[in-house]
Amino acid sequence: MSGVYAGPVQDLIDELGRLPGVGPKSAQRIAFHLLKVEPADAARLAAAIIEVKERVAFCERCFNIAERGAECSICTDSRRETSMVCVVEEPRDIVAVERTQEFRGRYHVLQGAISPIDGIGPEQLKVRELLVRIEAEGIDEVILATNPNIEGEATATYLARLLSPLGISVTKIASGLPVGGDLEYADELTLGRALEGRRAVGE
Amino acid sequence: MHLRRLWLTDYRGYENLDVTLPDGLTAVLGDNGEGKTNLVEALGWLSTLTSFRGAPNEALIRLGAESAVVRAEIDVDGRDVLLEAELPRQGRLRVQVNRQKLQRTRELLGVLRVSVFSPDDLDLIKGGPGERRRFLDETIVARHRKYDQVRTDVDKILKQRNALLKGSGGRMSDDVRYTLDVWDAKLSAAGEELVRVRLETLDLLVPELTTAYDQLARRPAEVTATYVAPWRDVGLAEALAASRKDDLRRGVTTVGPHRDDLALAIGGLPSRTHASQGEQRSLALSLRLGAHRLLAAESGVAPLLVLDDVFSELDVERSDALLAHLPPGQALLTSAIGLPPRADPDLVLRIHEHHLRADTAAAELDLRDAETMSDPDQVLPQPVDNPVDGERTAP
Repeated sequence: MSGVYAGPVQDLIDELGRLPGVGPKSAQRIAFHLLKVEPADAARLAAAIIEVKERVAFCERCFNIAERGAECSICTDSRRETSMVCVVEEPRDIVAVERTQEFRGRYHVLQGAISPIDGIGPEQLKVRELLVRIEAEGIDEVILATNPNIEGEATATYLARLLSPLGISVTKIASGLPVGGDLEYADELTLGRALEGRRAVGE
Repeated sequence: MHLRRLWLTDYRGYENLDVTLPDGLTAVLGDNGEGKTNLVEALGWLSTLTSFRGAPNEALIRLGAESAVVRAEIDVDGRDVLLEAELPRQGRLRVQVNRQKLQRTRELLGVLRVSVFSPDDLDLIKGGPGERRRFLDETIVARHRKYDQVRTDVDKILKQRNALLKGSGGRMSDDVRYTLDVWDAKLSAAGEELVRVRLETLDLLVPELTTAYDQLARRPAEVTATYVAPWRDVGLAEALAASRKDDLRRGVTTVGPHRDDLALAIGGLPSRTHASQGEQRSLALSLRLGAHRLLAAESGVAPLLVLDDVFSELDVERSDALLAHLPPGQALLTSAIGLPPRADPDLVLRIHEHHLRADTAAAELDLRDAETMSDPDQVLPQPVDNPVDGERTAP
């Protein structure tokens, strides 16, 4: 995009426009907002970006976000069960699973899903690292929590095939209806999946 | 289901259109290039959110406008439903049903049900297998929108598998082998499901196709439509495994539902190579009419039948036969060459430079009508050539 603004302003708009979820119009709005704010406020934002890039990296064990050169807060939490690991695509998926407060094990972040179109195969993901951890940490249960789309499902299938010969428990999270919702408002795909994954009730 | 009223804003050549349609047959008359097909396209678009002409969405927005809006008021079992779709040049398509914004645009599919025949449908007979697969898939999605997902899943998996094959540089490393295993499993599951639905649909379609063809041709002929999928003897999983080396070398998936065909024959002879022009046109129209009949029979509610420029495709006998056997329900047809004498539309609309005007003088067309019109801007030069010979008279 070639801009109408000269030099630094256009540079800023271009950089902002590269951020996810920010289109050309939003980028322009943010840029003009930044032009107006107090220099100290703008400097704080700039410092925060620099600081996060300097100090934060990925956990050396599970590839969640963590302080550079250290393990993340979940891996260092001694109350966590170490024999159970939940495999997710991105660090933000950990936040979602954590909100449930249902899972007391550790995580493993693949940092993506298998997608040949984007040039991502198992080699580009933290799959080898997962195998090493299973061996080294005595993990006996793996829960696959990849996204319920084509790439996520393919990644789960790949991992299930890879892990099943190891003699550990490998499960995948169920897909189905949102709790507290109405059946009549469920879209047919989700409801279809929920029907497929139905379970016996009663004792 | 009945389409009561249609509004177009900045859609193709239409700055503003507001038209009310009767229950029965509407005829839209006008020269070529005045906007008949655009009107037909808008109806189809509101039903499927894709242009049957294969035009990208941006092409539907009037030049110089920021967004196109298509609105329709339909009557579903006596209930009023207002559909609105706004297509902006920038940003996402917005669709509303009764002023409620839909979370997923897919939910609009099938609310307004439209069967469109256009002269391009001759490609169903003369074109490649892709045209016929598309026809089948459109029909299955029209039967139930849940099948849209099956179709898109197959597409996505194929793209991923092909990207993997291409990216492998023709070498079967362990990594490629294990990842291919996964995509093969996904493709065979989704592909088998798609073909199961295609076959089920075809079984229902063939009798309707035969009926439609016999009514049009008036000389009963044995019309067959056979699904051709060489891999079905062994199953897709095995076929993919067998073609893996070849696929790897060529960098594409050489077997599967995306390579299948629908073989059409009249009296046992392949219609692409052996049928006459007339037979081919009748067969193309019969495919659309057959699908229309199937959808009407299965759901109990006839879709709106739209026939674009159909008389230019048919000789006078077939035109008459079509009019005599128009399926019950609401229908709209367009013509640049007037109407056959047999036609008895409930409403005639004349179209000129993307403006519509109701014609109270029924179907009879002649220049005297045009000369007595008060507004000279809305006078339509109508072709007066005898429409009975079925030839296209417009330039």
